[in-house]
This record gives sequence, structure tokens and C-alpha cells, in this order.
Amino acid sequence: MPENAIAEALTAAAGDVLETMFFSPVIGEATPETSHSEPAIMASLRFSGGRSGSFAVRVSAGAADTIAANFLGEETDAPEPGQVRDVVCELANMICGSVLSRLDREAHFDLQHPELMETCSEPPPGSVCRFFELQEGQVALCLQLDSAV
Amino acid sequence: MAYRVLIVDDSRSMRAFVRRVIDLSGFEVESCLNAANGSEALALLNQQPVDIILTDINMPEMNGEDFVRQLEQRDELRSIPVVVISTDATENRIRRMLDLGAKGYVVKPFSPEALRTELERVLEVENA
Repeated sequence: MPENAIAEALTAAAGDVLETMFFSPVIGEATPETSHSEPAIMASLRFSGGRSGSFAVRVSAGAADTIAANFLGEETDAPEPGQVRDVVCELANMICGSVLSRLDREAHFDLQHPELMETCSEPPPGSVCRFFELQEGQVALCLQLDSAV
Repeated sequence: MAYRVLIVDDSRSMRAFVRRVIDLSGFEVESCLNAANGSEALALLNQQPVDIILTDINMPEMNGEDFVRQLEQRDELRSIPVVVISTDATENRIRRMLDLGAKGYVVKPFSPEALRTELERVLEVENA
């Protein structure tokens, strides 16, 4: 799978999911440096099926609070930390599914339940990562496809 | 007409989002039940009838495929229309869920209008 095809799918899926479901449109690309400059919530998941591999999302704290409030429809009170983490996991699930659907319309896939990551580790070798700027912070996405056996 | 809805998804935030989108879309809801997986949903359906079911696919304990399969095997539940809500937009998956017995399929991300359109289409077909 060409890296640019994965990068295009990551960009399209991020824009579509963040705007439609989380009401937080992407306003531009970010750099890895700005993306890692503030505290963040991270989630990852494994997928299998037509393609297998892993997907990870890193959302800066400010952006995570906003997208959680938007997603949950909280107009007055800020979401609880547990709700914010749950929404970041849902974001990971949705973007990963959207990316995989864009990469192959034929093969179906199974997503494992997203899990929160305590620390930000280096992406696995072969990962394709993209960084996006939102109004309230940054979102980083990394997709890694297992090699075909 | 107001409908009794069952939302099946292992994510509490997703269940809340779907309920909010249903309300925003103007679709009339008489009551809304929640279940975290197919097993919970079947237990609820033994106690309370509903008019339509919205279900995710990837869930622990009993996933959406097994849930739809179980519904199809039970005479008293087979007639309840099921709409799948999933991130999986692949043709194989959509065809598989419809072949199993689901009457509609909505791909995440979706707009309130898209969800309402699919719910109304499925209920119109069922009531025709």
C-alpha cells in the first residue's frame, strides 16, 4: 500500500469524522513538534480482516475537552475526565474505520476496542502519521499496516 | 407517530450521541432503551417491545452480527427492523449485514438528516 494513499485516507477521514461527528473542523496541518507540545490523551487499537495492523490517535488536552463537549452535547458543564477519555476512544474507532473503508471498499475488517495509552511511545516501524490543527489544539494520527505474510 | 427505540453500542458516549442525533433530526421517540451489546439487548427485548433497533457491529460478548442472527432466529423478534450503525463502509460488510437480516445501514460519520432518512425509509418499508 503506497504511503501517500494512506496519508490521503488519514487526511480525508480526519476531516470528515471531526467535522461531522465532533463539530471540530480541521483548520490545517500541524507539525509533529507542535502536536507534542502540550498534554494529551492517547488511544490505540488493533484491527484485522482484509488488512491488519494498528491505529493510534493523540489529542491535545484542550482539543479533547472541546470535541468531547461537542460530541456529548454538553452546553453548560465541562465533560468529566472519564467521558473525555471515552470520547477519544470513540474518535479513534471512528477515524480508523473510516480510513480502512477508504483504503479498500471490498474487504471488511474488525476493530478491537480502543485502549487508552499512558505514555506516548514511538510509532511502530512503517507507520504513516499525520498531524492536524483544530481551533482548540492538535490531533495526531498514526496507521501501521502489518506486512502480508 | 412516536417510536420505541433500542440503541445497542458498547460505547456509552456513542449511545448518547445517537440519541441526541435522533432528537435533533426530529424523529419522534416515545421511549429509548440502551444496551451495551447483543446479549444485553436480547435480555431487554424479552421484557420490553420496541419498534426499531439501532446496533453497532464491534461489541464485546455478543457482536452485531451474532445479535442480528439471534433476532432472525426468534419468531417474536424477527419482525423488528434493525438498522446497523458502523464505521465499516466496505461493501462486503454492508451486504453481509443486510443478508443476515438488517433492514438498514448507516455509516459513521453521519449527519442527523442521513440517520433520520434511513430510519424513516426502513419504517416505511416495514409499515407498507
